[in-house]
Amino acid sequence: MQAEKRETTMDRVSKGLARRYRRERWFRLFGLSAIVTSVCFIALLFVSIGANGWSAFQQTEVLLDIHFDKEQFDVDNLSTANYGALVKNSMQALFPDVTGRSDKRELNKLVSSGASYVLQKMVIKDTGIIGSTKKIWLPADDEVDMFLKGYISRDVAESARRLNDKQIGWIDQLVAEGRLEKKFNTIFFTAGDSREPELAGIRGAVAGSLFTLAVTLLLSFPIGVATAVYLEEFAPRNRWTDLVEVNINNLAAVPSIVFGLLGLAVFLNVFGMPRSAPLVGGLVLTLMTLPTIIIASRASLKSVPPSIREAALGVGASKMQAITHHILPLAMPGMMTGTIIGMAQALGETAPLLMIGMVAFIVDVPHGVTDPATVLPVQIYLWADSPERAFVERTSAAIMVLLGFLISMNAIAVFLRRKFERRW
Amino acid sequence: MESMSAVLTTGETPFLGAYSMTQEKVRQEDKAPRENRMTVGVPFVDDARMTCRGVNVYYGEKHAINNVSIDVGRNEVLAMIGPSGCGKSTFLRCLNRMNDTVEGCRVEGDIQLDELNIYDKSVDVVPLRAQVGMVFQKPNPFPKSIYDNVAYGPKIHGLASSRAELDEVVESSLKKAGLWSEVSDRLDQPGTGLSGGQQQRLCIARAIAVRPEVILMDEPCSALDPIATATVEDLISELQEQYTIVIVTHNMQQAARVSQRTAYFHLGDLIEVGSTDRIFTNPRHRLTEDYITGRFG
Amino acid sequence: MWKKGLTLATASIILASAAVNVYAASGRDYISIVGSSTVYPFATTVAEQFGKTSKFKTPKIESTGSGGGMKLFCAGSDIDTPDITNASRRIKFSEYEKCQKNGVNEIVEVKIGYDGIVLANSKAAPQMTLSKKDIFFALAKEVPDPQGGEKLIANPYTTWKEVNPSLPDTKIEVLGPPPTSGTRDAFVELAMEGGCSKVDWIKALKETDKKYYKSVCHTVREDGAYVEAGENDNLIVQKLEANPKALGIFGFSFLDQNGDKIQGSVVEGELPTFENIAAGKYPVSRPLYFYVKKSHVGVVPGMTEFLGEFINDKAWGEEGYLSDKGLIPMPAEERKQFAADVVALKPLVMSK
Ligand SMILES: Nc1ncnc2c1ncn2[C@@H]1O[C@H](COP(=O)(O)OP(=O)(O)O)[C@@H](O)[C@H]1O
Ligand SMILES: [Mg+2]
Repeated sequence: MQAEKRETTMDRVSKGLARRYRRERWFRLFGLSAIVTSVCFIALLFVSIGANGWSAFQQTEVLLDIHFDKEQFDVDNLSTANYGALVKNSMQALFPDVTGRSDKRELNKLVSSGASYVLQKMVIKDTGIIGSTKKIWLPADDEVDMFLKGYISRDVAESARRLNDKQIGWIDQLVAEGRLEKKFNTIFFTAGDSREPELAGIRGAVAGSLFTLAVTLLLSFPIGVATAVYLEEFAPRNRWTDLVEVNINNLAAVPSIVFGLLGLAVFLNVFGMPRSAPLVGGLVLTLMTLPTIIIASRASLKSVPPSIREAALGVGASKMQAITHHILPLAMPGMMTGTIIGMAQALGETAPLLMIGMVAFIVDVPHGVTDPATVLPVQIYLWADSPERAFVERTSAAIMVLLGFLISMNAIAVFLRRKFERRW
Repeated sequence: MESMSAVLTTGETPFLGAYSMTQEKVRQEDKAPRENRMTVGVPFVDDARMTCRGVNVYYGEKHAINNVSIDVGRNEVLAMIGPSGCGKSTFLRCLNRMNDTVEGCRVEGDIQLDELNIYDKSVDVVPLRAQVGMVFQKPNPFPKSIYDNVAYGPKIHGLASSRAELDEVVESSLKKAGLWSEVSDRLDQPGTGLSGGQQQRLCIARAIAVRPEVILMDEPCSALDPIATATVEDLISELQEQYTIVIVTHNMQQAARVSQRTAYFHLGDLIEVGSTDRIFTNPRHRLTEDYITGRFG
Repeated sequence: MWKKGLTLATASIILASAAVNVYAASGRDYISIVGSSTVYPFATTVAEQFGKTSKFKTPKIESTGSGGGMKLFCAGSDIDTPDITNASRRIKFSEYEKCQKNGVNEIVEVKIGYDGIVLANSKAAPQMTLSKKDIFFALAKEVPDPQGGEKLIANPYTTWKEVNPSLPDTKIEVLGPPPTSGTRDAFVELAMEGGCSKVDWIKALKETDKKYYKSVCHTVREDGAYVEAGENDNLIVQKLEANPKALGIFGFSFLDQNGDKIQGSVVEGELPTFENIAAGKYPVSRPLYFYVKKSHVGVVPGMTEFLGEFINDKAWGEEGYLSDKGLIPMPAEERKQFAADVVALKPLVMSK
C-alpha cells in the first residue's frame, strides 16, 4: 500500500519533469538565440566599419627632392615664402616633359596642398636647411590616395573619374620609381579638422571631447552623488521628495536636444558664455548625465546592506560618519559604473551640442575649455556629410576611434565593478 | 509621556505579594489567566542601570510595544524571550535609540540610563550609543580589516590618542571577545573572511572596544552553529563581570544558561519578569508557562 | 572623498566663471561664421586656406542651416554674435527686417557662385532625360486630371512611362532630402514649380491665388514614390548604387565626386555638368550667398583679409580651389561686381 503510494507520487513528478525540462530548454534556446543575434549585429557593425575604415590609417605619400632655394626665402619672414613653388619645382623636375599651363596644373594637383605647410614647418624649425636639397615624403592628394587604395577604378570612362588618364600615367610612373607609397597616417592623429581629407585629423575633436567630458565629470559626479546621498539618506519621504524623484526619472528620458535648447537659453543667452566652448558643452552634458548618475547612485546606495549601516550606528557613528566611512565606499563602485555609463552616453552625444554651436568646422586644436571646439561624434557627422570620397574611410576610422573610447570606458566600468565588488 | 500610575498598578498585582525568593510552588489555580496583560513578577530592581517606564512603540499605526515597564540591573544579564514578532527586538532597540533610524517608528515613555532620560531632547545619540553598545542577529563586520573593525569605534570617539594606544585597545577587545588567539596573526585581513562564529565575536569585540556600559544583543547566536554558540555564551558569562547585558534570544536553554533575569514578551506586552530560575521552573502566568512548556513559540 | 568632491565642484565652478570672464574681457580673436550646410564645404575651404596662409586664426564655421544662421546673425550686433552667415538662398525680407530691428543695420551681401541640384541614378541603369514638367507630374502630390478639366487629382502615376511615354517603364522612386533642407526648397522651387507653371490654368492661378498656386506646385507626394532619405547626400549616393531603379536628388558636388558610380539626368535637354551650370544652361541651379555684418569689420581681427581671400579668383574663380570642391563660379563680370561691393562694403538695401 505504502510503496504503491510512493510510486504514484514519483510517477507524477516524473511525468511533469519532461515538460519542466522542455520549458527550460526552450527558454535557454530563446535566450541563446537573442544573444547570438545581437552578437551577429555587433560583429556586422564592427566588420563593416573596420572594412571601411582600416585603410584610413594609411595615407599615400610622395617622395620629392625639394631644393630649398635661397632665392625664395626672406630670413625675416620665413612664413611668407612661396613653399608651393618649391613643391611645384620638384614635380617639374621629375616630369620635365610636362608643359602647358593646364597640364602643369593637373600634375601639381597630385601633391596635397598641405605639402607646403610641411615644408614651412621644417624651415621654421631649422633654418639651416635653406640652400640644401632634401628627399622628403610629403602627403599626396586625396584623389591619388583613393586611386592607390583602389577606390577609383581606372576602367571607367575618363570623364567619370576625378583623375584623368594623364594623371594616372604620372601616378604609375611615380609608383614604379618607388616615389609613391602608403605610409602610416600620422596626420589623422595629430591634426585638427581640414577640408582636405589627406590633411584632416581627429586630434581637435578628441581634445574637444576630453575637455567637454572633463567639465561634465567634474560637475556631474559630485553633484550627482551629493544629490543621491541627500535623497537616499537625509530627505524626508513626503510629497515633495516624491515630486523630485519623479522629475529626476523624467529628466533621464528627456530627448537630449532639449538640454541643448536649455543650454542655449541659460548658459549662452543669460550668462553670456561663449558659443562652441567645451565649457558650455560640458554644462549641457552635465544636465543630461545627472539623472543617470543620480539614479545609478541611489540604486547602489540602496544596495548597501542595512546591516552595515546599523553596525556603524551601533558603535556610535553619526549619520554622516556612517555614510562617509561605510556606505559611500561600498556604494562607490556602483556610482562610478553609473558615472562612466553616463560619460559614455555624453561622449556619443551630438544633438544638444548643435544648439550651443559645437557642430562646427574648427581647425585649431583647442587648448582650454573656452576655446572653440567640436567633439568626436560631431566630427564623424560632419565628415559623413562631406562630398569628398576620401572622407568616407576617415568617417569610419573616426567611428573606430570613438568606439575604442566607448569600449575602454565600459571596460573600466566592468573592471571597477569586479575589483571593488564586495561580499558582505 | 505615559503616566506612571499604570506601572504602579502593575506592580501591585496580587501576585507580587506572594512572590518570594524561596521559589515556593505557585498553585496552578493561582496563575494569572491568559487574558491578563499586566506584568507579573518583579520588573524592578534596586540600583538599576536602566529603568524603563510606560514604554510604547508604534510603527506608523501599528502598536508594537504596549506600556512596558522594566529595570535592567547593574552587571546582570537580562534575557528577553517570547514568540517571534512579540516585540523583543523592538524593545531592545529602544534602549540605545536605534529605532530612531527606522522611518515611522515612534517611541513614547521614559527610559533612563543612570537617571538620565535618553529620549530627552538634549541627549545626543552618538555618545549614547557609545555607552550602550549593540550586537546584531546576523554578524555584520565592516568589509574592512579585522583591525579596522575593532579600531573603528575608538577612532571616531577619539578614545585612543596614539597608534600604540589604539593597538592596545584592539588587542584587549579581541582578547575579551576571545578572538585574539585566532586572529592575532592576520589583523590586516578582511573581517568578512572569518567564520560565522568568529565574525560574531569580532562584532562583540567591536562593541566592547568603545567601553560601553550596557551591551544589547539581539539573538547573537541565531546564525551560529552549536560550537560557536557555546563559545559566545561563555563569552557573555565572562563579560557580565564588567558589563550590563540585555540579550534577546529565542533559545530558552540559552536564556537559562547565561541570564540571571528573564523577561517574557507576548504580542507587545511584557507578561512576566523574574529570576531566570524561577521563570523556567515556576512561571506565574499561563502564557509564560505555555511558552516554556513548548505549547507555542 | 566626500568633501573632496564638493571642493572640486566648487573649484571647477569658480574656474569656469573665471574663464568666462577672461573670455568676455578679451573679445574674440577669430571670425565666427554660421549658416547653410550647402555653403559649409566652400566656406570651410576658404577659412582653412585663410588660416594657413595668414597670421590670423582659422575662422570657426558652424553648420546651422540657412534659416538657423540668419536667426543667429540677426540676433544683434554684439561681439558674441556671428560675423558672417552663409545661405543657400537669398536673405528673406522678413529676415532683413529682423536684422534691422536688432541693430544689425548694415549687411553686405556676397554671392559666391552657384550650386546645381542634380537628379541622378546608378550607372547600371540607363540615363534619364527629363523635362521639368515630367518632374512635376512624377513628384507632385496632386496633378491635373488627365481626363481634362481644370481640376486636380491625387497623383496617379506609378511609373515614368505613365508620366511620359518616352521614359522607361520603371517605377517612380526618388530619394531626396526632407523638407527641412535647403536643397529640397531649391529643388521644389526650380524644378517642380518650373514644370508646374507649364500647365496653363495652374500658371494663371499665380495671378489670382498665389498661395494656392504655391501649395499646388510645391507639395511633394507622400505615397512612397518620393522617399525622404535624410540630409546626408552621401547616403543617397550609396542608396542609388544599391538600387539602380531609384533616382536621387542632391547637390552637384556629390555627383562630381562620384562620377564613376552615378550619372546625372538630363533636364530640359541639358546635362548637369560644370560647364552647363556655369553657363546658366542647366535649369536647376541656385545662387549661394554669404552675408557680412559690417559693424564687425575692423573689430574682429582678420575680417577684411578673410573677405579678400574669398573674393580672390584663386578661390572663387573658374580655376579656383572652390571649383575643385564643386562650387560653380559666377561669370567674370558678376564676380567683378560683387568683389567691388565687398571692397566698398556696400550695405544691402531691401524693400518689400
Ligand atoms: N520597521 C518596522 N516597520 C513596521 N513594523 C515593524 C518593523 N519592525 C518590526 N515591526 C513589527 O513589530 C512587531 C515586533 O517586531 P520585532 O520586534 O522584530 O519582533 P521580535 O524581535 O520579537 O521577533 C512585529 O509585528 C513586526 O512586524
Ligand atoms: Mg527580532
